[in-house]
Amino acid sequence: MTPPVISDKSLEKAGINLDIDVVKARVQQILEDELYWFPVRHHSPNVALHLKQAIQDRKPKVIFIEGPSQANDLIPFLTSRKTKPPVAIYTSFRDDGNVLNLAGILSPAEDIPPVFPAWYPFLQYSPEFVALQMAADRGTKVFFIDLPHYARITPYVPEKAHVDGLSDDRESEDGSRVNRDDDESEVGAKATSGDGAGAPGDSPVSGTEPEPSYSAPPNDNSSDDSDNEKARKQNRNLEFGSEHLIIESQFYQSLASVAGYRSFDEAWDSLFEMRKFDSTEMYRQEIAAFCCASRATTRRSRMVSDGTIDRERFMRKSISTHLQELGLKPSEAMVICGGFHLFYDAEDKESPPSIPQGTVYNTIVPYSYFQVSELSGYAAGTRAPQFYQRVWDLSIANRPEDIVVEHIVAVLTEARKKGQILSSADAIAVSQHTDMLSRLRGRAMPVLDDLHDALITCCCKGDPKEEGLALLRAIDAADIGSSIGKVTPDLGQLPVVKDFYQNMEALELNEVLGKEKRLKLDIDKRDPLGERRSVFLHRLRFSEVPLCAMSGPPSGDFSTGKIFREEWHLKWSPAVEAALIDLNLYGDSIESAAVSKLRKLLKADERSAGKTSRHLLRAIDMDLPDLVKATEELLSQSIDNDVRFVSLAQALTALMVIDRYFVYRNSRHGVLDELIVRCYDRSCFAILDVVAVPESDQEEVVAALVALAEVAQQGDKQSLDRNLFTEHVRGAAAATTVPFLKGAFLGVLSELRDIDPVELANEVSALAKAPPDVMVTAGDFLDGVMAVSRTSIILGAQSLIAAIDELLRACQWNPFLVMLPKMRAAFERMHISHRDSLATRVAQMYGLEEGGSIAELNISTSAAVTVARIDKQVADIMKDWNL
Amino acid sequence: MAAKKDEKSQPVEGADDEVLRQPSEILYRNEIEALKQNDSDPAPKHWHMSPRAVLAFVLGGKTLKAKIDGKTLDVPISKKFYGDDTIVERAIVTLASERALLLVGEPGTGKSWLSEHLAAAISGTSNLTVQGTAGTTEEHIKYSWNIARVIAEGPNPTNLIPSPTMVAMKTGRLLRFEEITRCLPDVQDSLVSILSDKGIAIPELPDANMVWAKPGFNVIATANTRDQGVNELSAALKRRFNYIHIPVITDHKTEVEIVQKRAGELLQRYDMPVTLPPPIIELLTTVFREIREGKTDDGVSVKKPSTTVSTAEAISVAIDAALYARFFGGGEVGARDIARNLVGSIVKEDINDLAVLKEYVVLVAKRRGEKDKNWREFHDTVLASIK
Repeated sequence: MTPPVISDKSLEKAGINLDIDVVKARVQQILEDELYWFPVRHHSPNVALHLKQAIQDRKPKVIFIEGPSQANDLIPFLTSRKTKPPVAIYTSFRDDGNVLNLAGILSPAEDIPPVFPAWYPFLQYSPEFVALQMAADRGTKVFFIDLPHYARITPYVPEKAHVDGLSDDRESEDGSRVNRDDDESEVGAKATSGDGAGAPGDSPVSGTEPEPSYSAPPNDNSSDDSDNEKARKQNRNLEFGSEHLIIESQFYQSLASVAGYRSFDEAWDSLFEMRKFDSTEMYRQEIAAFCCASRATTRRSRMVSDGTIDRERFMRKSISTHLQELGLKPSEAMVICGGFHLFYDAEDKESPPSIPQGTVYNTIVPYSYFQVSELSGYAAGTRAPQFYQRVWDLSIANRPEDIVVEHIVAVLTEARKKGQILSSADAIAVSQHTDMLSRLRGRAMPVLDDLHDALITCCCKGDPKEEGLALLRAIDAADIGSSIGKVTPDLGQLPVVKDFYQNMEALELNEVLGKEKRLKLDIDKRDPLGERRSVFLHRLRFSEVPLCAMSGPPSGDFSTGKIFREEWHLKWSPAVEAALIDLNLYGDSIESAAVSKLRKLLKADERSAGKTSRHLLRAIDMDLPDLVKATEELLSQSIDNDVRFVSLAQALTALMVIDRYFVYRNSRHGVLDELIVRCYDRSCFAILDVVAVPESDQEEVVAALVALAEVAQQGDKQSLDRNLFTEHVRGAAAATTVPFLKGAFLGVLSELRDIDPVELANEVSALAKAPPDVMVTAGDFLDGVMAVSRTSIILGAQSLIAAIDELLRACQWNPFLVMLPKMRAAFERMHISHRDSLATRVAQMYGLEEGGSIAELNISTSAAVTVARIDKQVADIMKDWNL
Repeated sequence: MAAKKDEKSQPVEGADDEVLRQPSEILYRNEIEALKQNDSDPAPKHWHMSPRAVLAFVLGGKTLKAKIDGKTLDVPISKKFYGDDTIVERAIVTLASERALLLVGEPGTGKSWLSEHLAAAISGTSNLTVQGTAGTTEEHIKYSWNIARVIAEGPNPTNLIPSPTMVAMKTGRLLRFEEITRCLPDVQDSLVSILSDKGIAIPELPDANMVWAKPGFNVIATANTRDQGVNELSAALKRRFNYIHIPVITDHKTEVEIVQKRAGELLQRYDMPVTLPPPIIELLTTVFREIREGKTDDGVSVKKPSTTVSTAEAISVAIDAALYARFFGGGEVGARDIARNLVGSIVKEDINDLAVLKEYVVLVAKRRGEKDKNWREFHDTVLASIK
């Protein structure tokens, strides 16, 4: 028989101050309620299985689901056979009338209404999705009953008089409620058990439930106003569901501490997911008891402040309204919600909050396993969507015990794809280890944590963070999977597609749509429309929507002076729409998709200063102020941590561009100056690390060196120490044994007038006197010099030519052939005018005062001789005429 | 006043009082006994206690009632391993499985410490040990002969000198193999047959030429990541080991706790009436952590030294500072004592590490010294020492 999660012994062991009898009474009361409550956790296959059984057993006439009540119309599309999970209900609220007073705080400007989007994802094994499908199959009525997310947004109250949080505000309006919202927990806690614990209405219920993800729109307002900031934070981090309340509860904390659970996922899997129960009713009872104990050790004020109480009021009202309208009795209905809500306060007669008026948009969008995974940053996600899909599939196939072996094989297959040599013997060892670990940890069945630990133990030969990186990636791949959902085409346009067309219209770019014609667009970013177009096109380009391409250098390239001007080419194709549909996975608008994609890249490149700096440029080009700030912070860290010269020099170049751009924008700030100095200093220190890079890396080292030299040479930043650069370049020139790099280092010094060009000539001259095997490196040396030098070559041309002449005279035929390709390459690097200038000096050196250009001979030799003779005669005649 | 001895540190009777360092099974014999008496779970064959009891022994935190020497006592189980508990769980499970255990990590992360406690709890002895060195031979691992008797009598079982490995195999106990990567590869490979066949062949003996391991036999090896690449384990041997990496402690609070506890125990062992004031331990662990991570709490990037800056090194510095204060100082350990003894810990093999320490002292300690006396003393003393 399944041992219960909560017993007197377990409570005593965990040191929890909870009256088990009160909890039992509350649970029994709810389980015997006329209305059938089924507690769920989002994305739990085991809950889904038991729920399926419960629906089959009870055959309810109506099912109420804790989901977005504003999206009830979407239920037929969600249950359509053409809709394949993972999908999500997307719902957004636009505060057109600024009833929440958040325009300008959570939107770029006061005349732009803020938009509040939220997503409610469904996987194939989400209990709510299973219930919806069963209801559709059986013809049972079904309703979402949760409070719309936008009804929980706290309006902004500008003066100090306002209280924190909408819920607090409301509660304080009602004197009778004020005392209820103190810091006492609801029921079951021993301290309060004497006064009516167990009485109806005191029942504390909360539980695990569907948790939508929510993201507030980015804010363009850079004001540091503390009230505004508070409003922003408060409304950007709305807490959904009640899992966070369970995690915070004293009951769970004590339980986790005693049992050694490292996460709530581990606790849930150990207690409810990877465990067999004798019956569905026992399962329901166990979850209810767990949630009741959690709620009993949660402060009511916490439930008020996070909106749980408001939501429960709304759900109760929804249930009673629907039952009344349908003329059904409570016993004919079933409620599917987080277990925490089972124990709502029945004596609370307060009305639910009013729903703000504005534009509400609901739809269903395709989702991906990655998006629903915690790795994507979605707080209410599941840690391993593919793993739980496997659990679900095997449970349906009636072989749940195979999950360990199946998942191990999946991980090892992924690892082998990544080049890991792992045998079947390893799979056996992992399987044995998983089983033994799970028994040591007192579990009924192994959970994902045991599998992970066993995989690391048996397959990683060293530090998981180093030798185990490929294995960890394989584990992630097998845990998360790559499935992408589909939405029935009957539903119509996706929000991101809609946003795209709205933007095209607003930016007067509609003429390009649906035509195969290319449109050239010259943009001046100083013009407001040009600026908005540029931002939009940058976002499209970054999001890989194949509508536009920018010709010429990217904006901000100060070497070309094209900071404010951009030239774009736009061309429509059917691939644009396809790309937009794919983009929907990243967000509901072009802007939010760009933000998500850039965030992902930032995470991946956080250790590279060069890449992060380019992302900063992108964030500026795409006008994503929040990301600009975040990227600046990230860049600061990556500059501190990145020791690679090339990467640091790239970062410095990008920062200089941004600096110029900010000067124009009049929005420069101290952070940037500080970053530039730090990046410059660190780049200088890193020069010594590149004195022996392989040939394949030399070109980019030289490019970085030139960029750094340009910054040092410009001298418009007082805080950049030119000497620091030259000192390290000198050190590098002395340390390197690579002729090309030596040439480049000395060439840079010559360009900065830190050494006389004659010194370069002396180096070549020294090579002329060296043994042949050293002499042949002269080509590489000169190639290095030419790669970085501009004017200094011309200034020191005389001595350099003399040295090269000396070299060529001293050189035998075979060594000459060896050095020739590099020597030619070196001169080809020069600008044609510089080459001509050098050629003139060579001609002069050999007594050819008029070193005319050599033209290709397109006539016969005899004709050329005749022409030359006539030319001479004409010259003589003209001489006679004194012309 | 004599220090009150708690249960765990009760020495065994008689001559053991004179031993400088007692092995875990002696030092914690009451704990082991208490765990055995309270152990209700099944133990694998030849294990002295169940895996859960072994886990409790290493992680500590419980107080058990037990009858020790005829008296019923409350025996607190002390915490012996700090860090991720799952490391210990994984290690215990590995020892109960087919594969051997290899604890890898930076020097001073507690690999041998954990190995000793596991062997003491599981096999009742931590002394079946092979110390890996460049001079370790196959005989050290398998067996050798009493040459004089072999010349007189020829090879027979009584002339054979069993290695700790062979003893462990015959009795179903754990073998500890310290610093396995210090051994030459061909010597390491003599373990392959021991780990796969669970037996040692003795071709010199015509009869009874195999020694088979009894259940309970396994190997706990340790390897230093700094030695990686010197004598890397062969692929064949690697796959017979489960590797468990023991990371350097990065949590400040835990490190302070470890230094406090271990330094206190060692000072007690030396009968030193010196105490380490908490602010001094705080300073010491802060310096070690920041230099190790290359970043200070205030976000200043500093260079990292080439040497390992482990918690064990911090304990060593604390003890040295205490000894210095006791015999040459005023009796109380101060920041100066820490500073004097810290230089040698940071600057060991590479003289460039001196610049690392100097940078830290100049950039970090100096600024903190403006507000804090201990940091000022630390700054001044280190700079004076490295001039």
